[in-house]
Amino acid sequence: MKKSRSVRLVLLGSAGVALAACDDGGALPANAQFYPTVNECIAERGVAQCEDAKAVADRTRATEAPRFSRREECEQEFGVGNCETRQTAGGSFFFPLMMGYMMGNMMNGGRYAQPVYRGPNNTAVMPAGGRLLNVGRFDNLGAGRAAFRPAPQITTVSRGGFGGTAANYRTVGG
Amino acid sequence: MQRLSVTPRADWRAHVEGDLGFAFHTIDGALYWDETACYRLTAAEVDEIEDATQELEQMALGLVDRVVDTGEQAFERLRIPRVAWEAIAASWHSKERNLYGRMDLAYRGDGPPKLLEYNADTPTALFEAAVVQWDWLQATSPERDQFNSIHERLIEAWTKFGIRAKRVHFAAVRDHAEDNGTIEYLRDTATQARLETARIAIEDIGWDGQTFRDLDNLTIDVLFKLYPWEWLVREEFGQHLLSGAAQVIEPAWKMVLSNKAALALLWEMAPDHPNLLPAFLEPGRVGGKVVRKPIYSREGANIQVVDTGRVVAETDGGYGAEGFVYQAHVEMPAFDGNYPVIGSWVIASQAAGIGIREDTTPITRDTSRFVPHFFE
Repeated sequence: MKKSRSVRLVLLGSAGVALAACDDGGALPANAQFYPTVNECIAERGVAQCEDAKAVADRTRATEAPRFSRREECEQEFGVGNCETRQTAGGSFFFPLMMGYMMGNMMNGGRYAQPVYRGPNNTAVMPAGGRLLNVGRFDNLGAGRAAFRPAPQITTVSRGGFGGTAANYRTVGG
Repeated sequence: MQRLSVTPRADWRAHVEGDLGFAFHTIDGALYWDETACYRLTAAEVDEIEDATQELEQMALGLVDRVVDTGEQAFERLRIPRVAWEAIAASWHSKERNLYGRMDLAYRGDGPPKLLEYNADTPTALFEAAVVQWDWLQATSPERDQFNSIHERLIEAWTKFGIRAKRVHFAAVRDHAEDNGTIEYLRDTATQARLETARIAIEDIGWDGQTFRDLDNLTIDVLFKLYPWEWLVREEFGQHLLSGAAQVIEPAWKMVLSNKAALALLWEMAPDHPNLLPAFLEPGRVGGKVVRKPIYSREGANIQVVDTGRVVAETDGGYGAEGFVYQAHVEMPAFDGNYPVIGSWVIASQAAGIGIREDTTPITRDTSRFVPHFFE
C-alpha cells in the first residue's frame, strides 16, 4: 500500500477549534508584567483578568513545576536557599521558591500567566516552552515588586525587513 | 493512465472546509479542487514515477555537491547572488536537513516521466495532495490505493531535524490564503511530531541586532519560510539569515535547485538521461520546438514556447530579469482537452506521493485545477 494509513489533523478543520486555546503556551507577550501577589495585579488589570491568570499559573505550577526528591538537587539548579518542600499526592518533594506571577495578554486575546521562581544569583526564572526563561532579577533577596528588576527590554526590534519582493509579484509559492 | 469523469460528493464543499479546514478549494471564483474527475494509474505506472523521482532526487543532490565543489563559476551560471555562496556551501557541508520538494513531471504512461522543473524551495499544492485527495479516496472508495504517504512522511521527517528543544516559527506572506493554508498544514504535521510551533507573517519578522524576534519578542531560532530564498537574500534582513542567526527550512543549499538554470546543469551532468529533457542556458542549442523559462519564476509565469524562431505560446508575468533556460519542448499529455502535470513529492529526499494538477492549456498556471488520483 502506498497511501497513508491514517491522516489525522490536530490544528486544521474541526480539530483546530479545540486546540487553538492551548497554543503558544510558552510565549512571553511583550506586555507581560511581574506581580508578587494577585492583589497587585488586580489593582492594575482588574479582578477578572488576574483571577483567570492566577488560576492558569497555579495549574502550571501544580502540574509542571520542576520537582526534586533531594534538596541538593533542587538547589543545584535554582541556587542555595531557593527551594521549598511541599507535600503532593505522590509524596514530599522540593520545588523552586515561587516569587509571584508573570501576567499579560496574548496576541490572540488569550490570558498569559506563568509562575516566577527565584533562580541562582537572585535571577527571576519562568517556565517557557519546556525551558526556564530568565526574565529578570531580584534585589538583595527582596521579594516584593520593588525588588524585581526585569531583564533589559529589547529596545529596538526593527520590522519589515522581509516581504518586500512579494509585493512585486502576484503569487509566492509554486 | 486514464482520466475518469466521476460524480462529486454532494456535500464536498462543506466537508473539506469544515472537517479539513481546506479554505482555498475555490480561487478567485474559479474551481481549484476538482473532484468531477480523477486519474486512474496502474501500479506499474506508479512504480515508474516513484523510481524516476527517487533517481532525479539523487541526481539533484549530486548537482548540489558538484556546484558547491566548483564554487564561483557554478554559482554564477545559476545566477545565485554572491552574498549567498558562503551560506549555501556552509549549509551543505554541515548537512542541514531538508523537508520537502515537488518535481513536476510530464507523463502519460507510454514512456519515461520527464522532469519539467523542480520546485525545491517553496513548493505548494501540498495539503491538497497529502490530505484532501486522501480523504476523497477514503470517502469514495477506501479499498483503493493511492500513491500518497506524504502526511506520514512529513510527521516522520520533522522528528529527524533535531529541533525538539526549540520552537519552529512558520512564516508566509500575510493575506496569501493558499500559502498560509500550506504553512498551517505543515505546522499541523510538526505539532504531531511533538514540536513546539508558532506562526508569523514574513513581513512581521523582527530583528533586534542579534536575533530574529516574533511579535511577542520571542527569539526565532528555527524558521520555516514559505518564501523564496532568492528574495530573502536580497531583502534588508537577508544578511542576518545568511550569517546563521536562525536555522532555516528549507536550508540555504536549496537555492542551487530552486532556480531553473539547474535544469541545464542537470542535463550537462547527465546528458541523455531518460527522465531529463535537453536544457541549456543559451538559445539555439535545442532543435525544433523549445520552451524558454525564466531562471527565477513561479506558477508558469513568463513561459514562451518557440517553434523554429516563432513564438507559438506565451504567458505573462513579471519574471525574467536574471535570464532564461531553454528546454526542449515535450508534447504534454492531453485527456479530453485537459493537460495534467504530475507533481511528485519528495519528503526528506524520499519519493512520497503525487498530486495531479491539470489545465486547459499545455502550460500549467496558477489557474490550474487539482484533480485526485488512485491506482490499481
